[in-house]
Amino acid sequence: MLPTIRRLPGWLLPAVLAVVLVGLPQLGLDLSTQRQIELTCILALLVSGLNLSLGYAGELALGQAAVYAVGAYLSGYLGTHGHTDILLQLLASAAAALVVGLITGIPGLRLGSWSLAMTSFFLVLLVPDLIAMFPDQTGGRIGLVGLGFPTLFGRELAGPDYYLFVTAVTVLWFLVLRNLVTSRHGAAFRVLRQSPVLAASTGISVYRLKLTAYAMGSVPAGVAGTLFANLDHYISPTAFDFSLAVSILAASILGGSASVYGALVGAAIMQFGPMESTSFQKYALVVYGAFLIIGGVLLAEGLAGIMRRLGRRGTQLLRRRQPGDQRAQREPGAQQEAPLGQPGDQRAQREPGAQREAPVPRPGEQREQREPGEASVSRGAGAVDAIGGAELAVHGISKRFSGLQALRDVSLSAVPGQVTALIGPNGSGKTTLLNVIGGFYGADAGSITVGGREPGRRPHLVARAGVARTFQTPIVPAGLSVLEAVAVGRYMMPYRSLVSAVLRLPGYRRVRAADLREARHALELVGIADLADADAAALPLGTRRLLEVACALVAHPKLLLLDEAASGLDEAEIDTLAGLIRRIRYAGGTVLLVEHNFRLVLSLADHIHVLAQGQVIASGPPAEIEHHPAVLREYLGVQPDERISDLAALQAEVR
Amino acid sequence: MTLIWGGLSLGAVYALVALGYNIVFTASGTFNFAHAQLLMLGTFLAYWGLAVAQWPVLAVFLLAAGAVGVVAVAEERFAIRTVRGTEAQLVTTVGVATLINGASQLIWGSQPLTVPFFSGKGQADTTVWTLFGGRVLPVEVVLIVVAIVLAIGLIYYSRHSMTGLAVLAMAEDREAAALRGINVRMLTLGAFAVSGVLAGAVGPVVGPRTFAVATLGSALALKGFVALALGGFGSIGGGVVGGFAIGLTEQYAARYFGSTYVNLTIFGVLLLILLARPAGLFGRAQERMV
Repeated sequence: MLPTIRRLPGWLLPAVLAVVLVGLPQLGLDLSTQRQIELTCILALLVSGLNLSLGYAGELALGQAAVYAVGAYLSGYLGTHGHTDILLQLLASAAAALVVGLITGIPGLRLGSWSLAMTSFFLVLLVPDLIAMFPDQTGGRIGLVGLGFPTLFGRELAGPDYYLFVTAVTVLWFLVLRNLVTSRHGAAFRVLRQSPVLAASTGISVYRLKLTAYAMGSVPAGVAGTLFANLDHYISPTAFDFSLAVSILAASILGGSASVYGALVGAAIMQFGPMESTSFQKYALVVYGAFLIIGGVLLAEGLAGIMRRLGRRGTQLLRRRQPGDQRAQREPGAQQEAPLGQPGDQRAQREPGAQREAPVPRPGEQREQREPGEASVSRGAGAVDAIGGAELAVHGISKRFSGLQALRDVSLSAVPGQVTALIGPNGSGKTTLLNVIGGFYGADAGSITVGGREPGRRPHLVARAGVARTFQTPIVPAGLSVLEAVAVGRYMMPYRSLVSAVLRLPGYRRVRAADLREARHALELVGIADLADADAAALPLGTRRLLEVACALVAHPKLLLLDEAASGLDEAEIDTLAGLIRRIRYAGGTVLLVEHNFRLVLSLADHIHVLAQGQVIASGPPAEIEHHPAVLREYLGVQPDERISDLAALQAEVR
Repeated sequence: MTLIWGGLSLGAVYALVALGYNIVFTASGTFNFAHAQLLMLGTFLAYWGLAVAQWPVLAVFLLAAGAVGVVAVAEERFAIRTVRGTEAQLVTTVGVATLINGASQLIWGSQPLTVPFFSGKGQADTTVWTLFGGRVLPVEVVLIVVAIVLAIGLIYYSRHSMTGLAVLAMAEDREAAALRGINVRMLTLGAFAVSGVLAGAVGPVVGPRTFAVATLGSALALKGFVALALGGFGSIGGGVVGGFAIGLTEQYAARYFGSTYVNLTIFGVLLLILLARPAGLFGRAQERMV
């Protein structure tokens, strides 16, 4: 029975619940419960707005209560001045909310993550002042009275009709939110939350996206204000205080900030739980406070997260009872085709995606027989499409970190159809140079061009100019499947608006299909296509690296920067990577490889630049670099007169 | 000049809040949203000690400093150490702030309470001094002096003592500091304790200026934050200068626009700073690390 349930589409349950919610009065629901549900819907709208900025974009905002007040008073003003059309009021409130969101978000997001919290919280403090400033329009301290019934297309909405309207609006908003969160924008939000650095390096403007999430999150608060004003036909100025701001936050934490429907659950608990009883009011703040502390500590993912985890565990239990290969369940994609089982091969079993066709070397085998990448490329088959690589020209770059001259007048180039390697001891400035090229650091002097043009000074601009990179420590977004994580790499190519994503317009669908197709292709190229549906964050290090390379490739980069891409990979994975880099080269791509594995560099690179203490000390083809005296001295600490010429042998010895 | 004195003394309160934010922020990278509430708790304890229990002044100071210090340590232990990540810590510190707000409302009600200024006579002192042509209450002068002295002392301490240097090292790189043998955990706890003790100890000085009232925390939190943003995060001196600037702005706004427009004016100042110079007047811009 359970498998049947699992085969049902994910939207079915929410859809059924939505129909039930809207249709409850037909089932004979009494008026006071109807009102409770209406209030729950209103609170859920507020909470879902917070979820968008806190749960998805990772920015705490405390101003929902104030935006709510703006929506309520604006609707109240319109209502008492003859504009009772509720659609007009909703539209006006949503627009006003968006404006307030932008006014606080644009400055509030310029500083650390607490700055938005404070800036938006300030709004809550301003509400009583603003009410006092316009006593005629707002009714001052007494509150705004005399709102008539709202109308919809000229028809008065009262009692059950208004219930229908409130629930329908709520359902619609949650549909919008669901479409947004499951779209490529939702994936981009998750990347942003995980790492602004990763987001920027895939061409996402961190600031713009955060602002989008926060400003979008204000809209439901404005809508909620309109619904609230027309519910009781009275607006009390005490409804929008600190206590409301905190209860919204508490409901968000309770339901799970990074979930769509958690907002409804959290709001329902707040509304139907003991929190609203009059005897509780006195203790409300104390309880909320204690709850936020406990909730912040224990329920990092909220109830939705706990349900999800329980669900996962349930499925696992069920699966375990079914006959079958247990290991295969634990480790997605761990299918070996050659018989293995020697103790030395355990590593291969532990790592998902470690499938091999070629015989695996036993630990005792002589390593020298196998040049990395020389062996036939066993997996990750599939040709790389022609890549229009662009020439990278670094000219006279210097970079100083207060006392430390990290780069001194560095000039080098990397041309299409070649692998250019950058080597040097630790601290020689390799990663700094990559960061300067990537736009993460500004250079003190010098210029960088990609394809003859300056790519811009900000990371997301550089990324949009066709520069893709991987990081020394792979950054993998949480909460995304491998396929999704790769597809995010195409977020900006081309960009599709939020509206287009929410409405699932044909243009969006086309791009989305292309995203997934390309992502699948990229996963095939790096040889982990079988892991497409696995949880990206659960991958072991080696596979994470391949995932990062796939992320970089999916954008068809003109220039590919690989920062120690091979470290942490086992030999088979290095083979795959080396084969892949070769194919990128044949396809015409430009590869700049920072790498410590000297043998890999010698076998792969067409041209090698050697950095030491921030300066280029040697450049040339591998055969020349291998025997370059300065390189031997700086890079391996060998004196030239020791007459050790075979660096590879030395390297093997050092190991 | 009376206006200036009023502004400076109010600003001193904001400066003290900003100081508390900075101590914790430098040591642990945490923005302690609840710091203003700690200060508020200090004013309530001062009210209780001076007006209700009528303890000797020194005992009230010790009580406020000790009790608020304990609360701050408890906060670090249960709401900071157990939580990873900036957003989650923001949520828990908002929780602590809410808890203190709610608890003080339960205990002391929501009406503003007058905290008598200790004068040795055991009752409310009505002395008014005239300084530089402006009328000023003794408590206001004390406030200004306390804020400045504390700031100078902290700056000196952070640059010249081993503990201060260790905190600076920790702010730069926690792991590296730990590898150098610095007890990172103790120092973080210590920073919370110090900020709490200071917040409590200034309660009897702040209270007479602001009243002890349960809404004080939120207002102080925001104004203190604006002071911090103006002066620059992590800059002790900047925070104090920012505090004075905000206090003066507030007094002048109240004088010329009316008290309804005070918060709006300060909000405008905050938006301007964040737009024009997000690192603050004395803050240094940091380059992002990859």
